[in-house]
Amino acid sequence: MMPYVNEYDTPECKTLAETVKKSIRTPASLGLDRCIQCGACTASCPAARFTDYSPRQIVKKVLENDHSVLESEMIWSCFYCYSCNLRCPRNNSPATIVQVLRQMAINEGIGVEKLGYFVEIGEYLAENGASKVPGAGVKNMERDLGERWIKFKKDLESIRVELGLSSRDIRNTHGEVRAILEGTGYFEREKWIKTTIQEKSLHQLLKSQCMKEEDKSGDFGFENDRGYPGQAALII
Amino acid sequence: MNTALNKTAVFICHCSGNISDHIDINFLKKTLKAEGISVLDYEYLCSSEGQALIKNKISEGNLNRIVIGSCTPSKHGTLFKKCIQEAGLNGAMLEIANLREHCSWVHPDKAEATEKALSLLRGKLRRLENSQPLGEIKVDITPKALVIGGGIAGITAAVNLADNGISTYLVEKESSIGGNMAKIGKVFSPDKLAEECAMCSLSPLMNEVVANPKITLFTWTEVESLSGSAGNFTVRLRKKPRYVHDNCTGCGRCSRACPVMVENEFNCGSVDKKAISLSFSQAVPKTYCIDPDKCLQINGETCGKCADVCKSGAIDFSQKEEIVELNVGAVIVATGFKEYDATQKPQYGYGIFKNVITQMELARMLGINGPTKGALIRPSDLRTASDIIRSSTDTFESDSSSEDSSDHSDDTGTPKRIVMIQCVGSRDEKEGGNRYCSRYCCMAALKHSSLIKRKYPGAEVTICYVDLRALGFYENYYRAVQDMGVRFVRGRPAEIVEKPDKSLVVRIEDTLNQKIKELSADLVVLSVAMIPSQGTRKIAGVLNLSQDESGFIKERHSKLKPVDSSLDGIFVCGTAQSPKDITDTIAQAGLASIRGRAFITDSPKALANEIPTFNPLLCTKCEECFKCPFNAISLNESDRIVVDPLVCIGCGYCTELCQNGAIQIASFTKTQLKAEIEGELKEGDLLGFVNSGIASLTCDNIGSSVLTYPSNVKLIKVPTSLVLDKDLLLHAFKHGASSILFLEDPPDSPKAEVIYPLTVSHFEKLKKEMGDLGNRLYFKKAYVPNTKGLAGAFTSLAREGEMIG
Amino acid sequence: MKTIGDIPDRQLLLFKSCMVGQEYPGVETSTRYAFDRLGVDYIINDEQSCCTGIGHYTDIFEGLTTTAIAARNFAVARRCGHPNITCLCSTCYAINKEACEVLNTDNEIREKVNSIFREQGLEDLVYEKDDMNSKANFYHAVEILLSKASQIQAKKKFDFSGVKAAAHHACHYYKVKYLDVLGNPENPQLIDTIAIACGADMVRWYEDRTLTCGMGFAQLHLNKKTSLQVTKTKLDSLQKAGVELMIHMCPNCHIQYDRYQPVIEREFGAKYDTVHMNIAQFVALSMGADPYKVCGFQTHSVPLEGFLEKHGII
Repeated sequence: MMPYVNEYDTPECKTLAETVKKSIRTPASLGLDRCIQCGACTASCPAARFTDYSPRQIVKKVLENDHSVLESEMIWSCFYCYSCNLRCPRNNSPATIVQVLRQMAINEGIGVEKLGYFVEIGEYLAENGASKVPGAGVKNMERDLGERWIKFKKDLESIRVELGLSSRDIRNTHGEVRAILEGTGYFEREKWIKTTIQEKSLHQLLKSQCMKEEDKSGDFGFENDRGYPGQAALII
Repeated sequence: MNTALNKTAVFICHCSGNISDHIDINFLKKTLKAEGISVLDYEYLCSSEGQALIKNKISEGNLNRIVIGSCTPSKHGTLFKKCIQEAGLNGAMLEIANLREHCSWVHPDKAEATEKALSLLRGKLRRLENSQPLGEIKVDITPKALVIGGGIAGITAAVNLADNGISTYLVEKESSIGGNMAKIGKVFSPDKLAEECAMCSLSPLMNEVVANPKITLFTWTEVESLSGSAGNFTVRLRKKPRYVHDNCTGCGRCSRACPVMVENEFNCGSVDKKAISLSFSQAVPKTYCIDPDKCLQINGETCGKCADVCKSGAIDFSQKEEIVELNVGAVIVATGFKEYDATQKPQYGYGIFKNVITQMELARMLGINGPTKGALIRPSDLRTASDIIRSSTDTFESDSSSEDSSDHSDDTGTPKRIVMIQCVGSRDEKEGGNRYCSRYCCMAALKHSSLIKRKYPGAEVTICYVDLRALGFYENYYRAVQDMGVRFVRGRPAEIVEKPDKSLVVRIEDTLNQKIKELSADLVVLSVAMIPSQGTRKIAGVLNLSQDESGFIKERHSKLKPVDSSLDGIFVCGTAQSPKDITDTIAQAGLASIRGRAFITDSPKALANEIPTFNPLLCTKCEECFKCPFNAISLNESDRIVVDPLVCIGCGYCTELCQNGAIQIASFTKTQLKAEIEGELKEGDLLGFVNSGIASLTCDNIGSSVLTYPSNVKLIKVPTSLVLDKDLLLHAFKHGASSILFLEDPPDSPKAEVIYPLTVSHFEKLKKEMGDLGNRLYFKKAYVPNTKGLAGAFTSLAREGEMIG
Repeated sequence: MKTIGDIPDRQLLLFKSCMVGQEYPGVETSTRYAFDRLGVDYIINDEQSCCTGIGHYTDIFEGLTTTAIAARNFAVARRCGHPNITCLCSTCYAINKEACEVLNTDNEIREKVNSIFREQGLEDLVYEKDDMNSKANFYHAVEILLSKASQIQAKKKFDFSGVKAAAHHACHYYKVKYLDVLGNPENPQLIDTIAIACGADMVRWYEDRTLTCGMGFAQLHLNKKTSLQVTKTKLDSLQKAGVELMIHMCPNCHIQYDRYQPVIEREFGAKYDTVHMNIAQFVALSMGADPYKVCGFQTHSVPLEGFLEKHGII
């Protein structure tokens, strides 16, 4: 698949560090080059406390121009809580750097399936001028939060009215928000994201089917062997 | 022919071929002689024979004006000036044409070089016709010095000055000298790999201050103001009343009798001393001092118990503040540092969690004259305040308490796990932090770790560091401390958490094994930054000294003039200038005293006389010239505008400020500059006005770097381009300049930082005023190493000029 | 650093929050209740759209879209003469402030945004440099309440003396634009000061004071276990410190603590005695507001009845 071009979040530059510094997502005064690897970010990080995530190591990889960081699951663990941003003695900002890395990964189609869950937010915003918890999230919440919440959600409109609010929180944006999303190329990107996710899941499906056959054939299952229809079983 | 010119002679130096190989000296001689000017040449004019030749010719021919064609005047200008002065001429009657760096070395074509040499000589000859003799400016220097601040820096400076025979005043705002070094208890020795008693090294020095007849000590005294100029300062001191006369014997009866307990600044705020006290037992002078805010008698209550018990009658509640005025030639500022306020980093809990303290507080705790008599105790476990007071006042009364005084305190209160955190408020770009490294803290942490390990071998000490800076031989001490089993974790802690039992947890990433750790601690010690003391901030304002962004007093040049302040005659040393340790402070204090002495003993001081002159007929006393950025110009008692030759650097800004043309810079008058232009310029020349500082040096360096540029580049030296005006530029264009380049010093020194922006706006103003001709004005900064760039600029501008021509 | 003196009480646009509107509408009504009684001049304008925060921080919206949407909301605020954007949600606050900074300092992006407006026929949305001031025009509703703390204290109808409470300041208020926080960003005390004015007894230095709520945008949905582990850590600390009421300032934290506390109890086998409230609800309650008709406590997942009864409110 063709990488998506997102020139403000991920301006094309020679190195990861340059892209990160030029990105709209990072502050102009970003102290990336001044990082002394002191670990104040990681020590302050909620994700680092409970997962293998390490903002310090991410910064190191960016400085080393190690593109493998884009494929690392690690970058999807950040909470965007900005504790690292607050603590860094060099005014570096791992929380915003990771945002750029995720955007780069998305452009390459690497983590794009992670957006599937949220991708309806855009259309909802264009339509209603507001955001909402995506449908899949609502399902999960119904499962997790149970009856009390489901009942509340049913009663929301009447509760709002009782509080003296409009029954639904819908904004009157005169179609301007939709026009803006069209102008910034959001919908194009959304379409690209959706297509890419579909392609990837199709690929995944095929892959798993192959795997099943491979199981039968006892094939190695190496990347290059995928399309290979099979030969006499080579059993280890 | 002008009669004056008859007595003018030109001397040309061959410079052993450096000049004569590239310039046809015979042609120069023939041409000038034909115009009636006597010309002499010699192999080496700078040799003693060469100088003798000049002197002989002056007396033989009754010469009164001399032009020397030689190497750059920055090389032998002073020598030649002295030479003609010895022959009885005024120094202003000498002009040097730079035939080497500006000609023979940079123009490979002999004919072109010869032609340019001729115009350079003609320029100098024409200039000399318009020169006037200049009087010498000399000033007597008061042979006394003032040292402000009685810490280790000030004490060292004062003792060094006195040892060099200089009468020195030492002023200290506290009641005793000694400063922070008196507090820290121990100093580490990188060769003995041990800790030594700080007071044992400091105390003899403090006593030396009192004993030395050349030193006058003022304690409990602050500097109010400073006036006058370098070499002749008048200082006003405010001497606070200590309510105890000098006949105090230091017996301590008063303190024992006093009923009021007060906060002890020396012990970092412990309430453990009396309202009449010495600040510590080795205080110098050993004269007690009353805290006027806390004394009952002074605050209107009846007490007077101290006066009752004093056998010398030293106590005097009626003592008043005194103002003392001193005259000194030089001042050394040694006002020191204070600890960074760690409450600005709430994530470390200082001021909130009792068991988080600073290194200085730990030093006091470990000191046998400290609040716990040297015992390491969790502050949260400290016994009642009065217990501590009782025990510490005991220490105060008898100096005999032994190092083992802590044996009995090895109870539950002794912290077992001590964590030190480095770089608190240092190397920190966040608001309230300091960007610099404080230099002392790595070693202080190592020293205290070592002290703790020696005294409490069972204690676990961990130092959280980012980079451990143990420079030079200090590394040996670092290794020794490592051997004692102190642990090191590389990482900057995120935060500290307090547990219900008042123990602490330090959250940190051990960046070397990439694990997040929670270090449990009974005591956390913050190695906080060194910041300028209140006294340092205050004195910088009182004396009008440049400060850096953090408030330290800025030295004139970080490498070459590390103790000169921004003002002549005022020097700085120790932690008032930048964070540093005792060793560096003492070395710097020594240099400051030598610089101070050199300044004082060079008396009467001969000053540059190329400074503004005022034409009283044109001056309207509009006082515009008072905008001088160096405050060199003022009105004297007899209502005359005068310039302070000690302060003035002759930059010429006042000539721009003066709307009436009443101000000229001696040696750089408009007439002189015009005459030089007339003599030197040919049609199509690029004329460069070169700042006589760095820019001039850079032009000379083009020659020594074996680079070339076209011979129609003509350079005229000016103090700065601020002396140039529209009239002068029009004159230059009229006499053939194709374009004019202003070559200025970059803003890399305190003075150039002031002047450079002025020259930029002056240039822009002139460019506007000159209309179309303004397009032929150029401005360039000259950096000494960038000779190639400058030669390139000369070449392209000269070529452009040829095109216009 | 901001100071209380800089906080305006005039020309405020109370910036609607999507999560408040859909989950805790009582936070909006409580804020209005308090503002009305504290003499604050504000309006609500339903032309104002979502700030994009939810989508921006789940990596859906790119920076350009977020900035352009913000520029539109700035035009809405200016057009109605209430340029002081005052947010109920800390993410709205951070997003708007950040976008304003970008629009004022990055000429290329400002031009791009304006050219989009022109292409789409939205000329009246065009943003000129410094139309808004990123420091002076953006506030969180808590800041307004803090500036009125003494009035709150004077006007309170119900005193919460003896209530052991703790504050959770929102990360996107004090960790994103940390130079513009009221007070030291390492020790935000806005909620504490306001709650103390209402009589509450604040536990200041509890463990994990600065830990995030755990929502983490995509984290709650994609890495639920980690997300709830973070939340649990904080709830554990509060439980240990004996806190009965946790007060926050952002609907995202509110969802995380209030909605998920029962989930954590169930899934991790924990038990908590803490109830949750937004500071505006707490202030309104203290000033005499109805717990249901104003504060909207019926929308909460952790029932507040026990707390309200204990303190004699119902």
